Amino acid sequence: MVQIYVIDNGGQWTHREWRTLRDLDVETKIVPNTTPFQDIKKDEIDGLVLSGGAPRVGMQSDLGKCAEYLEKAEVPILGICAGHQFMGRFFGGKVEPAKIPEFGKVELMLLKEGELLFNGVSKKSIVWESHNDEISILPGEFIHLAESDTCKIQAMKHKDKPFYGLQFHPEVEHTEYGEQIFQNFIKICKRDE
Amino acid sequence: MFDAEKFIEKTILKLREEIKGKALIAFSGGVDSTVSAALVSKAIGDQLIAVHVDTGYMRKNEPESVKNLMKEMGLNFRFIDASKEFYDALKNVEDPEKKRKIIGGKFIYIFEKVAEKENIKYLVQGTIAPDWIESGDTLRDTIKSHHNVGGLPEIMKLKLIEPLRDLYKDEVRKVARVLGLKVSERQPFPGPGLAIRIIGEATPKRTEIVREACDIVEKEIELAVEMGKMERPWQYFAVLIPVKTVGVHGDQRAYGNTIAIRAVQSIDAMTCAYSDIPHDVLEKISTKITNTLGNKVNRIVYDVTNKPPSTVEWE
Repeated sequence: MVQIYVIDNGGQWTHREWRTLRDLDVETKIVPNTTPFQDIKKDEIDGLVLSGGAPRVGMQSDLGKCAEYLEKAEVPILGICAGHQFMGRFFGGKVEPAKIPEFGKVELMLLKEGELLFNGVSKKSIVWESHNDEISILPGEFIHLAESDTCKIQAMKHKDKPFYGLQFHPEVEHTEYGEQIFQNFIKICKRDE
Repeated sequence: MFDAEKFIEKTILKLREEIKGKALIAFSGGVDSTVSAALVSKAIGDQLIAVHVDTGYMRKNEPESVKNLMKEMGLNFRFIDASKEFYDALKNVEDPEKKRKIIGGKFIYIFEKVAEKENIKYLVQGTIAPDWIESGDTLRDTIKSHHNVGGLPEIMKLKLIEPLRDLYKDEVRKVARVLGLKVSERQPFPGPGLAIRIIGEATPKRTEIVREACDIVEKEIELAVEMGKMERPWQYFAVLIPVKTVGVHGDQRAYGNTIAIRAVQSIDAMTCAYSDIPHDVLEKISTKITNTLGNKVNRIVYDVTNKPPSTVEWE
């Protein structure tokens, strides 16, 4: 069984991430972001999800020990919303208040074909959002994967590491291909075993 | 996937171990508390005492039907009419968070009184995942205080038991179906009741208005669903906005309140899309409400916001 932990940064939908993984038969657990990496590593996890967070934490705060996870983890990591923004900041990108904060329904546009995380996802699809801040400058080691009319960096991935960031929320019911994206991430985690 | 039968089996065993003595359940008659009551009653039988408090903010005919439900389920129950107490406590209170906290506190006060009298040590609540997620904690921001979480006093004499804490509503409904409970498909109704469907002070008079309007919205939408005109919403109700606008009633100027119609689609209330109610249904609701409520209401509006950015209820 694949084992993926959800790092809780205090988002409203952390529990939904846990639930989506559980429903896809993943062994999963919600872990506070204050947990040392060692304690997570010894459970021999196959992947990590960095959840969204309370308002503004993606832009300003340390997000617990997320830096340590990004530094030390060799397993795939999926950053969502604040988790995604923090990933951007950690690798040298820039996070700023969004010119147009997005809440609710938004159309997502994929920029690259054949991307594993978006396997089976239409070029244009409906996603749900909830953010005040956004990544304004992509970190150098990252590839830009998707955008919307009102937010440029909706999805990104690291050039060499299996690290992915999503500004939108694949874990909520109303995101059209949300479950598909999680399935793809699980596959990425399995492949990395 | 979630296995309701396994969950029931495991939970009953766990409850039997956890509860030593008498327990009290806050029984609202909704899906969550009814399922919780059924599980705990299977675990400890008559040691469970179901308490239903009529807050005065219940829907039309609700106190009677809850009483009947407790009888049908064979529960050992107490029915407490506290409507006057609640109306008094909410006098001059307009802030939504204050309303929720006052109501939560009152509930606990009443339950503690019953517990003391009957020597009860445990309080069972039908709390589910979104309740404690939205109520906030050291990490999470408070979206709204759910009365069964955020309203609890810091020092509580009763030990809290929450058998459904990790479930979402659709999972609770699955459990309800397996248990054969007739409330399994009932729409959610917030703990503070109609008090948070009245913007501003929740006076008895305003409560009567929103009670009637909610009843009309429920009946008309259920009829439309039965006739195949629309999908069954996750939640559907009326909100009283005490903003007066001008109307005309039989050649005379009228100056009455506004009612908003709210209905949303969802599986777990964590995100919602507003329901697409057909225009003829909206019109029927509008005409019925204004005709029934005469000079009290003369304008009806339709809420077309998703969650996020809004929430399901207005307060």
